[in-house]
This record gives sequence, C-alpha cells and structure tokens, in this order.
Amino acid sequence: MKHPQLLFKNRIPGETVFFDGYRKSGGYEGLEKTIKSMSPAEVTELVKASGLCGRGGAGFPTGTKWSFFPSDQPGPKYLVCNCDEMEPGTYKDGVLLRTDPHQLIEGMIITAYALQTPEAYVFIRYAYEDCAQNLERAVAEAKEAGYLGKDILGSGFSCEIHVHRSAGRYICGEETALLSGLEGRRPNPRLKPPFPAVRGLFDRPTTVNNVETLANIQHIVTGGADWFKSLALTEEGAGTKLFGLSGHLEKTECFELPLGVTLDEIVNEHGGGVRGGKKFKACLPGGASTPYLAANHLDVPLDFTAITRAGSRLGTAGVTVFDEETCMVAVTLNLIRFFARESCGWCTPCRDGLPYVAWLLEQFEQGEATEEHLENLRGQFRNIAGRSFCALAEGAMGPVEGLFNCFEEELVDHIKKGRCPFK
Amino acid sequence: MNELLTTEQIEDFRNRAEQLEHPKELVIDLLRAVQARNGWVPDEGVALIASLLGVAAVEVEEVATFYDKIFRLPVGKKVIHICDSICCWSRGGEELAAALQQKLGIGFGETTEDGLFTLLPTCCLGACGEAPAIMVGLKTYGHLTPDQLDEVLATEREEAR
Amino acid sequence: MVTLTIDNQSITVPKGTTVLDAAEKLGIVVPHFCYHEALGAVGACRLCAVYIETEQSKGVQMSCLVEAAEGMVVNTLEPTAVELRQHVIEWLMTNHPHDCPVCDEGGECQLQDMTIAGGQSIRRYRGKKRTYSNQELGPFIEQEMNRCIQCYRCVRTYRDYFGGTDFGVMGSRNRVFFGRFEPGRLESPFSGNLADVCPTGVFTDKTYRFKSRYWDLQEAESICPHCSLGCATIPGGRYRELQRVRSGTSKEVNGHFICDRGRFGYGYVNHPDRLRVPRINGEECDRHEALAAINDKIEKLGGEAVGFLGSSRTALETNAMIKSWAEQSGSKSVCFECHPQRDNAARSWVALRGDRGRSLADIRRSDFILLLGSDPLNEAPMLAAAIRQAESSGSQVAVIDARPVKLPFKAAHLVVRPEKLSTIIRALKSGAFDNFERHEQLFFEGVLKSIKKAERPILVGGGDLLQAEGVAALCELMAQLPEAGGDFVHLSGPNSYGAAMLSGAAPDFETILDDIITGKIRALVCVESDPFADYPDRKRLQEALSKLEFLVVADYINGPAAAKADIFLPTAAPAESAGTYINCEGRMQRFKPVLKPGEPLRITGDGGHPPRRFSHETPGDQPRSAAEFIANLVGQPVTINDLRQQIAADDDRFSGLDQPEQGMLCRANGELPTTVNREDVPGKGDDLLHLLPVADLFGSGPLLSYCSALDAVRSAPCVVLSESDAASIGVANGENVSLQTAEGKLAVEVRIDAKALPGLVLIPQTGADAFLPGGVMIPCSIRKNGARDE
Ligand SMILES: Cc1cc2nc3c(=O)[nH]c(=O)nc-3n(C[C@H](O)[C@H](O)[C@H](O)COP(=O)(O)O)c2cc1C
Ligand code: SF4
Ligand code: FES
Repeated sequence: MKHPQLLFKNRIPGETVFFDGYRKSGGYEGLEKTIKSMSPAEVTELVKASGLCGRGGAGFPTGTKWSFFPSDQPGPKYLVCNCDEMEPGTYKDGVLLRTDPHQLIEGMIITAYALQTPEAYVFIRYAYEDCAQNLERAVAEAKEAGYLGKDILGSGFSCEIHVHRSAGRYICGEETALLSGLEGRRPNPRLKPPFPAVRGLFDRPTTVNNVETLANIQHIVTGGADWFKSLALTEEGAGTKLFGLSGHLEKTECFELPLGVTLDEIVNEHGGGVRGGKKFKACLPGGASTPYLAANHLDVPLDFTAITRAGSRLGTAGVTVFDEETCMVAVTLNLIRFFARESCGWCTPCRDGLPYVAWLLEQFEQGEATEEHLENLRGQFRNIAGRSFCALAEGAMGPVEGLFNCFEEELVDHIKKGRCPFK
Repeated sequence: MNELLTTEQIEDFRNRAEQLEHPKELVIDLLRAVQARNGWVPDEGVALIASLLGVAAVEVEEVATFYDKIFRLPVGKKVIHICDSICCWSRGGEELAAALQQKLGIGFGETTEDGLFTLLPTCCLGACGEAPAIMVGLKTYGHLTPDQLDEVLATEREEAR
Repeated sequence: MVTLTIDNQSITVPKGTTVLDAAEKLGIVVPHFCYHEALGAVGACRLCAVYIETEQSKGVQMSCLVEAAEGMVVNTLEPTAVELRQHVIEWLMTNHPHDCPVCDEGGECQLQDMTIAGGQSIRRYRGKKRTYSNQELGPFIEQEMNRCIQCYRCVRTYRDYFGGTDFGVMGSRNRVFFGRFEPGRLESPFSGNLADVCPTGVFTDKTYRFKSRYWDLQEAESICPHCSLGCATIPGGRYRELQRVRSGTSKEVNGHFICDRGRFGYGYVNHPDRLRVPRINGEECDRHEALAAINDKIEKLGGEAVGFLGSSRTALETNAMIKSWAEQSGSKSVCFECHPQRDNAARSWVALRGDRGRSLADIRRSDFILLLGSDPLNEAPMLAAAIRQAESSGSQVAVIDARPVKLPFKAAHLVVRPEKLSTIIRALKSGAFDNFERHEQLFFEGVLKSIKKAERPILVGGGDLLQAEGVAALCELMAQLPEAGGDFVHLSGPNSYGAAMLSGAAPDFETILDDIITGKIRALVCVESDPFADYPDRKRLQEALSKLEFLVVADYINGPAAAKADIFLPTAAPAESAGTYINCEGRMQRFKPVLKPGEPLRITGDGGHPPRRFSHETPGDQPRSAAEFIANLVGQPVTINDLRQQIAADDDRFSGLDQPEQGMLCRANGELPTTVNREDVPGKGDDLLHLLPVADLFGSGPLLSYCSALDAVRSAPCVVLSESDAASIGVANGENVSLQTAEGKLAVEVRIDAKALPGLVLIPQTGADAFLPGGVMIPCSIRKNGARDE
C-alpha cells in the first residue's frame, strides 16, 4: 500500500537533498509563515492541537512539553536536538539526515522561535559523521539564505545552531545525560525534578527533542493540525512515523508509514516477509528496549497507545524481526549484554544488576540453568524494572518482560534439555 | 606525529574557550581533535586539553574514560569497530567477527603487527538496515559477508599506508 | 511542619525533611549508602527503598528522595521494598572480594552492616568478579578499589564539598574507578575525610593500617587541639597508643568533617622522646618528690617572686587551677599565653565580641564573607570548608590580606601590608578611602556594596595578622552590618578564648619578663607552655630567663623548655585526660580521655610482639593531668567535675561548664587588655626586608612537629618574595638563598609570587625548622647562595 510521504517526500535513495532541492519542494515556507504570521504561543498551541508525540522513544506529547517551557524568562535558554540514536534497531534519524537535513534545520528554527531560545544544539552520535557533515552544510546554507542567524527574516528573532559530535555511549541519548555530555561533563543522567525545562543545559531552561519530532514541525505549520492528525490510521495517533526495519526480513529499510499501520503490513508488505520463506516468530517493535511481540500480535496497529494494550511500546519504531529458528533467550542475552555494557555506572540495579541478568541468561544458554535460576531471573526482573535511576535499565527489562510474556516455555525448555534447544 | 595539536588548532581552541562562558563544553571536541591527529589520546593530550580549558587533568580524564570512542591506549592507524548488537547478530555478525579476526590474525582489543588495524567490538552503529556492519575509522560498511572483507581490508590498508 | 506515619508511628518534622531522615528520627534506620547528611541525596545506590501507601507517590520509592508530606503513610517493611533492598545488596556484593578478614574497615563497615540488615546472606551469583589495580595516594590514604560499591560519596566529598581538584571518577558501567589522574599524594587538605565517608574499605586511614580492629579500639569524644575552631573529633587508641583520629559530628562547628591536620596530627601523644617520668635537675625521680621540691622552693622564694604561665593549648580547668594556685601562693604574675600579640588579640576579641559572634554553621549559610587577615587553609582549615559551602550556594567572598591566600574556590583578593589592616577596616567603617590607591578604593567600594546587598554577611578575621587593634576595628565595623550579619575571629590555640577570659585585664607575658629582668620574679612555672618555642623575641627571652633561679616545666611534649627545667613534670596529653576548650566563638567544648597514659606497647616491646617484659606497672604511666598535679600541690584533690562546678560557681561567664550538655556558648565578655602599644613594625635598614612568619597547614602550632605522620607532607623551608625583591637580590623561582635574621640563618628556597608585596618576605612555618612562632614581623636580609657574607 502507498502511504502519504512527508518526511521522505524528497527521498531519493543514496542521495541527499540540500538547499535548492529543499526550497523547490516548498522548504522554508513553514518558517516564513511562522515568523510572519504567528506568535510563539500560537506555534505551541498548534503543535499541541496536532497531537504530535515525541519520536525519541517515550512518546510524550510535544506541544504539552513545550507549554511547560518558560519562553518569556529572560536570559539564556536552549533547544537541543537529540540525534544520539544508539538504541539497537534504531536508525531512522540517520536516514532522515542523509535524505533531507534541511527539514531538521527548519523544524529547529520554528521550534526555537516558539520557545524563544536563541541557541540550539544538535547532539549527534559518533558513527553519524556523514550526518554531521550534512547538517553543517545545511546550517551554513540556511544562514546564507537568512533563515538562520541574526534577525531572521527581519523578525528581530535570532537563533544559532551548533552541531556537537559525541564520542559513543548509548546513555548520551537520555536527555539529562545528554545535557551533561554537552556541558563537557560525564554524561550521567540527572535527578528529575528539576526538569530540563526548569534547569537544563548550563542550568538554564532547555527543551530536548528528537530529530524526527522536530522535522515534523514545519509540516504541521504548513498543513495544519487537523490534517496532521488525520494522517494516522488510528483515532489516537497523529502523523506519520519512520519505521526502521531490520532482522530476518527480506527488506531491511526505513519506511515512512502512517501511525497505526499493522505489524502484519510492516512485516509482510514493506519488509517483504521473513527472509528465506521462514516463519515469523517475534519482533522488537520499537527498538531494543521494547517487549517482544509474537506471531499472535501481527494484527496489532502500531501507534503509541494500541501497542501498549498488546504489552509492548512503540519506542523508536525500529522493528527488528526474528524468524522461527531464533532462540529468544539468546536474543535477550545479546540485548542485555548491550544494556549492561552501555550502563553509565551511576545506579546499582543497572550497573550491577544487568551484568547479573546477563550471567543468568548465560547459564540458560550454556545449559546450566535450573529452576532456581528461573526464579532468580524473575526476581531480578521484578527488582530492576522501574527501580533504576533513569530509563536505561528500565528499558533493558523490556525484552526480559517480553521473554516472560511470550516465551517462558523456551526458558523452561533450556532447563529441561540442559542445553540451548536451538543450537 | 609529534605534536598533539597544531599551533593553529591550539590557537583556535584557546580563542573559542575564551569566548565561551563554559569552556568545558569543548572537551569532546578537543579529545576528538587530539585523537584525529595522534590516533589516540596519550596522558600528555589529557594534560594539554586540561590546560587549554583551565581545568584539572582529572576532569578531562573523567570524560575521556567514559566514552568508548576515545582511546586512552595506543591503537593502530585505523580502528575497526564491528557491531555486535542485535540486528547485526541476527544477520551473521558473529560469523563476520570470526572471519575478521581470522583475516587480521588478531583478537578483539589487539592491533595487527604492522600497526595498521586495531579490532574492537562496538554496540549498534545505527546501520541496522544494512546489517551486519562494521565501521573503519569514521566510515561505515554495511551488508557485509565474510567474503567481502578482503576487499574492504584491501581498500583500507591502501588508505592507511 | 508536616506529620506523617512511618511503620505505624507518627512523627512531625519540618517541611523539606526526607522520609529517610524522618524515619531516622523515629529510630527506624532505613539502609542507605549514597545518602549522607552533609552531601545530600543523589538517588544512586537505590538501597533506601520504602513503600509509600498514600496516593501521592504511592509505591516503592527511594526514601532519600521523597519529601515527607502531611498525612503520608510509609511502610519500611513492605515485602517489595524489602525485596528490592535485598537485591541491591546482592548486586553490590557481586564484585566484592569478601576480604573482610584483612580489611581495616571490618567492624565499622557500613557494607557489612547493610549486608546483614539486607537479609541477603547467600551468594547466588557465580560469575567472574572484576578487579582493579590500586593507586598509591600518598601517606594518608590507602586505596583498595575492589571493595568499592560505587556510592560516589568519595568524589562528592572530595570534589563537591571540599573543592579538591585532583580526584575524580573515571570509566563507566561496572568499571568506574575513583582516584587520581595519576598516582600520587592527594593534594586536598581534607583528603582524610575519604576514610570517614567511604562506607566500606576502599579508602582507609593509612596511618592506622593493620593496627587495630574497631571493636578493640578505645574511643572517646574529643576536640581537636590544632586550631581555635574546636572541631569535634573521635580519637581512637589501643595498646596505650593513639592510633587514629576520625571526625566527630558537631552541627554548629565542623559538621561531619575535619581537616588533615586534625586527623593525622596525633603522633605527639606517642612520640618516643616524650618524657614520662618526673625529673629534678635532669635526674628521674618520683612524682611526690618532685612536687615536694616545687612546694619547698616556692615557699622559700615567696609567692610574689614566682610567675605562672599557662597556655592556649591547656584545658580551661588546668588554666583555672593555675590561677588559683598563683592566688594561693600570693603571686600576682599569672598569664595564659606567652605570645603577647596573640594574647592581646584574643583578649580584645573576647572583650569586644558582642552577641553577634557567628559560628561555622552561620558561615556556611552566609551570603557574603569578607576575610580580613585570615588565611583559612593554613590557619583554621575547616573554616575554608565552611566558606566554600557558602560560596557554592551563591555567597561572594572577598579577601584582604598580606599573604597569597589560597582558597578552594574563587574569591576577590586585595594584597596589603599587614600593619595596614586596622586602618583599612576603620576606613571601611567610615567610608573615607582618600588615603588609598585607586585599585584599593575600587576594591573597598565593591566590598561595601556587597555588604549592603547581603542579608547575612560575616566578617572573618585572623587574630595573628589583625592583632588587638585590628580585632577591635573589626568588631566596630561589624556594628554596621545588617541585623543578621556578624563576625568571626579565629585565634591561635584551641583554648585561646578560654585563656583570654581568665586573663581579663591582668598584665601580659611582657610584664612578667620585665619583672624577671629586674629580679622581681625569680621563678617561673610553665604549665603546658613553652616560651622558648612560642615567644616571638628569642633574644629578649634568653636574656630574661638566664636570670631565673628556678624553672618548673610541666608538659606532655618534650619541647625546648623541658630541657632547661630545674623540675620537670610529665603531664597527660589531651587524649589521656578530660578537659574543656573554649573555641574562638566562645563555645565550651569538652574532651574525654581516650587512653590512660603509658608507653605504647610498640615502644616497650622493642617492636616485638607480644612484649617480653612483664610487670605489675604500666611502663611510662607517670604522667598525670596538669590539673591533677596542681590539685596535689595546693593540697585540694578534686575531680574534674568538682573543678568544673567550682569554676562555674566562681565566675558566671562560665555557667553551664558543669552541665553535661556539650558545646554551650559561654556568656560573653572579658576585659580589654591593658598594654597593647608596642612597636610592631620593625625598622628597616638598607638591605633589610620585613620577614613575616606565616601559618602553614602542617607546620604551625606547637604540636605538629612531633607528629611523624606529617613528615612526608611537610614542605621544604621556603620564602615567598615579590618579583621586584627577587630581581634586586638576583634570584629566580626555586633557587636557594640564605635568610638571615637576628635569630640566625636558614637556607631556604625562593618562591616568587606575582601578588607578593615588595619589601615583605613571607616564611611559611613548615615545621621542619620552626623559625619563629609567627604573629610578629622582624627585619631580615636575603642573600643569593654562594654570595659572600661580609
Ligand atoms: C537510555 C536512553 C536513551 C535514549 N536515546 C535517545 C535517542 O538516541 N534519541 C532520542 O531522541 N531520544 C532518546 N531517548 C529519549 C530521550 O530521553 C528524550 O525522551 C527524547 O529525546 C525527547 O524527545 P522527544 O520528546 O522528541 O521524543 C533516550 C532515553 C533513554 C532513557
Ligand atoms: S539506569 Fe542507572 S546506571 Fe543505568 S544508565 Fe541509568 S542512571 Fe546510569
Ligand atoms: S544492530 Fe548492528 S548496526 Fe544496528
């Protein structure tokens, strides 16, 4: 099925659209409209009405988040774009910035205007050097054209965008850790409250938004809130979503699809079905930190709410599929090892609890697990989920939760057989 | 290379630090700059950065040792990062890693005898759609099979020399 | 105030109290690691879980992070909370080496206690443990990283609280490392607090290493004798040896921490050269013999011919006994400080400090602090820590001083000649700055502006540089501060304030020396005081004391006076006796005996263990508290409690001294000193400079040079010179020169300081070669090494 394309409307695989191409397709009209005819508060209201939810993983309503921002408070304030994108299975922001970087720039300028932040940062992961270069070029072009910098389009509003290249570590994507990282300190998450909107970057009011979230803004401004809402296939959803497909599919690509598209359509239509004609066993529907969905969930519509009823989360909408021959204990072990390695080391459940869980899963994989290990694993899950300082360890428990929900018999099977049944 | 940063770089960073209210925000830029020239960040690099930012060396070290893409030990001319996260794992990442080790004749954390390559595992590179993937320096190679490694290594070897 | 229920008990606490603290008030200890009263809550360890039953924040919560709220119902024993605490302990123990048998923390280890309290007694994890290599961190602190549970308290103490810059946290995930960039001595003068805050055995007191188990240790509450702040300490000893000092807690004074001088400066008690047997003319004798001889001689000479000298390191009770001994013997010559400038500064402070004298706790809450002739890190280190607390919560700090005052934070600093301080303070009061240079005027205007803006400004002065006149000026300036402002002056000794109270308007030590020279006084009794070490003009002292017929010295350190004494009485050190010091804010603070006097086993046993000599007596147990000796002499044996009652009854300024309550403020005032006008700016010849001996962290004070643990950290003798003086002498930074004064010659290293004033040379009292006691400037000359003396 063909779906309307916003973020990918200029997409030509293998190519990047820069200023001229972007302008030709209507780029920066949203910004002009905003600056010339809207007050900052009106922008926030519009985004609120559009129902846009954050695309960084948590799905918090963007307009609501902005409405907490003290935009009239004097002194420095910051907008930060989160392009850390290090959660396994997630690569949509990278594709977006390789496709059409000006969308982010325009979205950021409109957002900066709405929040009245004269300084903005893009925090970009180490492995996305090409994206960083695309952005630097886009920033220069936007400045050249008068869309960015001092006194934008004669409005009196000024804004600078800085590109910050990071040096690895998944925790940098957590918004408060990201702020510490930007400040040149150890990227440990911070205690909330105070929230970034009150004390963020350099202790000043700050809003952190995801790349895709910000890239949607000018489409909302030009198309209107109702139109944006209507793009989704479900009542609760709003807009389109970038789905990054990976794992055992024929086609592992990134697609822009309406929110609410079913898992079945994604797997079997866009993903071209499971590789080698094998059967679908399970998937991570929204990145490494989301509980698995199994074959009985194929009819679940993927939006922020419907998916929670199926026991998972939309997360980053990175859909990683596993075929029938995959050991889900092994998958979970791989994921837990990732989380344990990426722990920042601040709180105990994550720093020491995750390596413990990894060790337990190893016992299963090595055929040395007993009933006691299973009981122990349950206890670990109960006491890590919801108990850590930030959401990293919480996220790590997503797959474990999925394992218990959908594949508990696989754990039992490992114990019974005294080995991994898939090896 | 005997200088960790060129005189112009030092001058430039010093100017930027002076203009910033919070000069410490340059620490990653500086670490990356030293690493770009020197391959890795030696103790003297940490000390140099600390002095440019007007902070204690340990404050730089705290940051340098947090990030896994900053090397505080010598590495080869090029660092090969091979992704071991879930998507690459699901599409032959382990076989690729074994092949890579065998072809280079080194294990993880080791450097080839000619000093050209250091092999390190890494978490997800954001190339999940092109799994399995590796990153050599700052360049990512996706959709790799063990057979294609020879070609990749040849290209990179050529460049490194 | 809010009222909440915890485990079915109800308690009312101030708004803002955490659930953890509220529970503790009820005697319910919620296990915790990362929370610390002084460091606050960070929510890292996740051990302090409780269950909150009421709607707001219902569920398992970290009790250190949740504020007590009206009507809140808390359950600390709810199964899911208990289960989480159990898991946290299990996680923390996965990598722990289980080396309790060889760990110095054993018995006082929070991790041991919490492991028991957590109820997780079985090890289920069988995976590999991670191990670290440790760093060598200098003579004070031992590191054993494998025991670390990552509560981050060390770095929060060292860096955040004390402003140390050479310690941090490196690495990440389950491989974080707490230490220095490279091995080496921890530079902060507060490094020892790592041993106290670390809940397990990662950071321990190196000087105490492998000496005792906590449960074998004799401990008692005490007060640090090394400066006038009077920080609460808990010294501990065993086998007649004082083995360590840890920090006590005093809300108003030091809070939870102490400085390294206070912690590691305890060796004087165990010093091998300490004299432990009474002597007459150098010959050991029985204590009763010595006392009888003293009585005889005083009777023979007549009381009027005897001078009595106490000191600022002697307990209040002892000084009071000296006073009544003098009275009984008919002597009018009694004095409690042999350094007249310090004596008069203290008396001036005691006389003029009104009821707006402030405490360290007030300083921590202050919003503007002006330091006048005060170098906290070297003179009263915990004052620097208190000011840093104010500074980190937004207070501004300005310094007017002759020294390059270094502080663990940024502060505005104006360098002036020491003798100008009083004039400056008076000018700040009048607001007339005409006689000053432009940059000074600007500085003063800024200071006045800040004072005006502040709500709780505090003036902090140092008795040594201000002297009596400056202290008086400071007290006058204070009157101009807003209502909630106040002042604080630190003095030289732990009991300077008490000594000054007893002195009143009596003549100072100069008068006693005058009387010795004229022959009016023929005998001198020095109780825990040593004019040979502490009186500033050595020539005059030699001249006077050579005329003495009879010198009695009673002391616990073997200073220069002891060797010259006709009769020597060994007294008990503070750790071996009870007493009271009055700190520089007039707070009466008691110390209790930790040990009985006696030679440490390691000395009597020649290093062998167990000792091979046995007897019914304890070797070296002759020392008695000085107060007890005097009580014997005057024939009225009293207990310390009787003595306190008597002092409180005799003088109502001391009322409360006999109450068990610790730390009462004494009721103000003493009298102004009578004789203060002495020429204190020395003359200046052609090539003469002014030498100002200044306090040094590990060198100042009479006790520190007897502490071997400090040998490794004492800096080499040096002088601080201005650039222009260095140029005219022709020396470069780091070069050696020869320093010459009337007292003698000394080879020292030159440190050139861009801020130092021309004509003024600073010599830190590094203790290696205690040159002069400080508090007074003298002329000196400096020659390049190799330059020929004429
Ligand atoms: C461990 C962790 C990693 C995260 N990584 C990212 C990321 O890479 N990109 C991102 O946009 N949000 C990430 N988030 C979510 C952010 O904290 C934050 O919610 C988000 O950037 C807000 O933007 P949004 O409201 O536009 O989604 C992460 C959160 C956690 C706990
Ligand atoms: S859950 Fe804890 S240790 Fe893990 S990343 Fe968050 S704060 Fe750090
Ligand atoms: S999982 Fe390997 S690149 Fe994403």
